[in-house]
Amino acid sequence: MSKTLVVAKHEFLATVKTKGFILSLILPFVILLPVVFTSGYAMQIAIDSPRNIGFVDETGIMQPDGIFIEFEDIGDAENALLNDEIHSFFTIPPDYLETGRVVLYRTGGFFSSAPTGLIEAFIIDNLLHDSDVDETLGDRIRCPADMEQITLDENGDVEEKQEVRFLIPYAVAILMMLSIMTTSGYLMQGIVAEKENKTVEILLSSLSPEELLTGKLIGFGSAGLLQICVWICPGVLVISLTSLAAIFQEIQISLIMILAIPYFIMGYLLFAGSMACVAAPASTMKDAQQGAMVFTMMGILPIMLLGVIIAAPDSVIARVLTYIPYTAPATTLMRITLTGISACEIAASLLILTISVFVVIRLSARIFRNAILMSGKKIRIRDISGYLKR
Amino acid sequence: MTWRHYKMPDNTNNKRLFTIWQTAAAVIAGAQMEKTEGVGEPVLDVLHLTKSFGTKTILDDLSFHIESGEIFGLLGPNGAGKTTMIRIILDIIKSDNGSVTMFGKVFDEAFKERIGYLPEERGLYQKITVFECLKYFANLKNVKKPDDRIDFWLEKIGLIDYKKRRVSDLSKGMQQKIQLASAFIHDPDILILDEPFSGLDPVNTKIVKDIMLDLKRDGKTIILSTHQMDQAERMCDRILMINHGKKVLYGTLDQIKADYRESPVMVVEYEGDLKPIDGVTEMEDYGRYAELGMEMGTDPQEVLRDLMESVKLRRFEMKSMSLNEIFIEVVNA
Repeated sequence: MSKTLVVAKHEFLATVKTKGFILSLILPFVILLPVVFTSGYAMQIAIDSPRNIGFVDETGIMQPDGIFIEFEDIGDAENALLNDEIHSFFTIPPDYLETGRVVLYRTGGFFSSAPTGLIEAFIIDNLLHDSDVDETLGDRIRCPADMEQITLDENGDVEEKQEVRFLIPYAVAILMMLSIMTTSGYLMQGIVAEKENKTVEILLSSLSPEELLTGKLIGFGSAGLLQICVWICPGVLVISLTSLAAIFQEIQISLIMILAIPYFIMGYLLFAGSMACVAAPASTMKDAQQGAMVFTMMGILPIMLLGVIIAAPDSVIARVLTYIPYTAPATTLMRITLTGISACEIAASLLILTISVFVVIRLSARIFRNAILMSGKKIRIRDISGYLKR
Repeated sequence: MTWRHYKMPDNTNNKRLFTIWQTAAAVIAGAQMEKTEGVGEPVLDVLHLTKSFGTKTILDDLSFHIESGEIFGLLGPNGAGKTTMIRIILDIIKSDNGSVTMFGKVFDEAFKERIGYLPEERGLYQKITVFECLKYFANLKNVKKPDDRIDFWLEKIGLIDYKKRRVSDLSKGMQQKIQLASAFIHDPDILILDEPFSGLDPVNTKIVKDIMLDLKRDGKTIILSTHQMDQAERMCDRILMINHGKKVLYGTLDQIKADYRESPVMVVEYEGDLKPIDGVTEMEDYGRYAELGMEMGTDPQEVLRDLMESVKLRRFEMKSMSLNEIFIEVVNA
């Protein structure tokens, strides 16, 4: 095994074994799964087992029907409710027709909710039962508006529905940048930690600074890739196995996924290389984080400008962000889902990003070699340019 | 083997040509030396090494060589440039000028597997076990059967029972011994040990010293960088002392001490009445103890013979400057 791969394996295993990393993998499921399970269970209870609802009618208008059971008085209904024979009951007073007043009785409980919709439908049915209203009008009274909403743009043209299209780019951009930032952050921590625990000099007596940096890039990058796979795979599985699949058919999911891979890898290398440039000369983690702030800000710029990009995906701002290496991964993936971004634009964006990665990795290797053994100094731009000249 | 020293040209291109010429000369010389078998064969040649950081010159035209199987002392005060020189030898940082050849060849990455290094600033991965830590370092040195080598060295330094313990659970002295083991684990030909005794108690100092002497007997070359002059004086075959990046002392201890010897002084403990002796120009007599300053060229055997005629000798020795005294004198000069 080459020394680069030895370093990569060590960094990968050291990262994935940490409590923080394991928690980052498990936590989303620990938080989300109970929520999904609980809400699903609650819905299941509501859908699968509709329980009887009692009523005490003092007007004589209402007739028992299906799940609606009539009781002679409130006392009987209360006993049935407390014995869990019915879900709830309501009373209709003699002056109901004048006042419309109905009183609902039910017990508490985590999954308990008021069946107001069912009760209203039951009362409307009973009110219409002996009236002269024809069936069609009766249907309209029962369901007065099956509403469709149409949004017009400034030219008066009908705008397409964009709810799902809005969600997809947002989710993809957030997830990608979160993973890139986390993973390149691991690399930065790894470099500073080895400076702080003084192991870096032993490592450099065994392999070149370039081999060490490359091994770290591969090791931490693999950990990041594992993280994003663990996050995304269950999501993709859920989408493909449920009715959500139909919603996502409209979106160019396959194109996004195919382009997400090179953009993730290039984006990671760019940010990780940049983080290495500030981590190598840093004496403490705090110094490194301060130096990395500028790259972090550039990385989240497309998220901050999400509104602008969604509103005008072909605007000058969106196009410029597509070509800036630090904003290209998130911006391009967002624009793909929102507009017909040309293949030329994607190619140009990827080309600029690739060239930038090449330059940044070379610069970071140079800074890494010259600065990794420096300690006790704050990072200054002048020093970094000095490391490049050596 | 001695090297002729040439004046460094001022022009940059000429400097580059000069460096290439030096390297070529060193390689040719190294190839010639490879024909000679046995101890004393040069394993490391450093020629006209120069390194500056900004306007500060750290190493100034430094040349020396290290022979196979010797313990070579690298001495100098703090900030003299010792660590920078070691880092250049290991190709961790690049020199501005000069060349380093190893085993007669220009240094390349493959030579790192033949070098064991204990840096002055100690450090190990704290959150992993001793075994995992040593295995990582062994894998980086391409050790074929790392597990066996780890067991061998842990046994040797008396820490085999701590193999599965986390490094952070070990004392500072134990961690230092683990780090020493990591420098030896790949059976290197050259060992560069920067302050190997610092922070060790007398028991562990003896263990480390014995290991170093065992390695020397096995034919390993040891470069010992230290401030502890007494250790250097006892263990080193030859020394190089640098100050402000310049070579100030270089050679065997006998040569260096001979160079620094003033008029010889004999120390004696005796019983009886001390009388004037031929060849003794100065006498500091304390009744039972005396320091006799001798004329240059006086045979100490003659002085002893004369002394034995007048007093009963209980102890005598030739007093010479210790390495520590030479160090202080050189640094203060």
